[in-house]
Amino acid sequence: MRVSKKIVVLGHFGVGKTSLIRRFVEDSFSNDYKVSIGVHITKKVVEITAGNQVSLILWDLEGTDDLSNIRDSYLLGTHGLIYVFDVTRPSTFENINGDLRIVGEKLPNAPKIVVGNKVDLVVPEDLDRLLQRQGITYDYLSSAKTGGMVNDLFLHLAKMLSSDAKKI
Amino acid sequence: MNEKDRLEILKDILFTDDREYIEKIAQRIEYIEQKVEDPERISSKVEPIVDHKLKEFTESIPTTLGPTITAALKDEVQNHTDEVVDVLFPILGRMIKKYVAQEMRMLSEKINGQLGFKGWKRKMKSWFGGAKEEELILSELSTAKIEQVLLIERESGLLTASYSTTETIDEEMISGMLTAIKNFVEDAFSQKNQNLELIEYELYHIHLQSFVTHYVAVVISGNYSLHSKNKVQDLIFNFYEDFMKIKKHKNTKEDTINHELAQSFKNASI
Repeated sequence: MRVSKKIVVLGHFGVGKTSLIRRFVEDSFSNDYKVSIGVHITKKVVEITAGNQVSLILWDLEGTDDLSNIRDSYLLGTHGLIYVFDVTRPSTFENINGDLRIVGEKLPNAPKIVVGNKVDLVVPEDLDRLLQRQGITYDYLSSAKTGGMVNDLFLHLAKMLSSDAKKI
Repeated sequence: MNEKDRLEILKDILFTDDREYIEKIAQRIEYIEQKVEDPERISSKVEPIVDHKLKEFTESIPTTLGPTITAALKDEVQNHTDEVVDVLFPILGRMIKKYVAQEMRMLSEKINGQLGFKGWKRKMKSWFGGAKEEELILSELSTAKIEQVLLIERESGLLTASYSTTETIDEEMISGMLTAIKNFVEDAFSQKNQNLELIEYELYHIHLQSFVTHYVAVVISGNYSLHSKNKVQDLIFNFYEDFMKIKKHKNTKEDTINHELAQSFKNASI
């Protein structure tokens, strides 16, 4: 059985949303940074259990410093979301709770995964201290460059959505 | 004459009236039995009564059932607006379209009548429109063809069903991108209740027909004339009407909708 789910990937400019998706879908990475404009859509089918597949339709939304500016129409019918911040740039996570509140208001019922990306560029202990000090809670710390935790976070969301589908 | 005979005579004298009465009853019963067993005879008696009662019932509907039906309809429209619109849209849409098509046909006939023949009309079109006459001839000859049809969830952009005559990139991605483009255009011009209806690229046209929960995207190659557009709209409305019926059944399989979509568009000439 296969179900299709719409996933939106959100976050500030340059946090690595497109790179995360590219690593997950194509297993590739590029250091060239190109700003995403509008939205880009890709797809990957993951197998949750034998014969139980989830087709993830990934909506890579352009980065914005003010999440309230995101087009509501892009969020319609969203089943799950991934919020990405850049662990090397505090400006992308200083107001994370406010950002997540806005996202929660726009998508009250969608399961979400909070991801700190670019962990390959920081010392893990320093990062832990920084995030603890700022009271930042997250689900995954990933690296699109090395591929660290990338598959895990998408698979985690797919499993959440798959179990939601069963409940329905 | 013995005693028994005398008793019989006495009985005859005493019960003459009763016997006649019994015979009359027996005849009456036999007559009724014949009437009941003969449908034509009984219907001639019963039908007027049924007709009268039916007429009475019909006349009393506005006062007896009317308020209940009106209240139920109001509730249904208020509580399930989307479903009601989805059901009515194909019917109303088709009616309006047919009316407009009829008017267009009349206008076209008037023009034809004034110009006399098709070639003369083309020449005029060429002179006034600036296009070469041979180009117009080619355009008339090149027929439109349905290449791909996608049934897409309006909000999420997820693909519900598809039919394709040619290989394309992943249809689920096409559905997502079409939805994003559609959303962007509709947002950009901030016109509520207005929908993106056509995307053109080189030799292809994508006809988009929006309904409440879904929209249908039809990719067409060739000369996409008003005539072709009318036919495509008819096909879409017919399909969507069938889809609404299928959708009512729980556990409808994707294959069933795909099959219905293919059946509706496979051999369609536009």
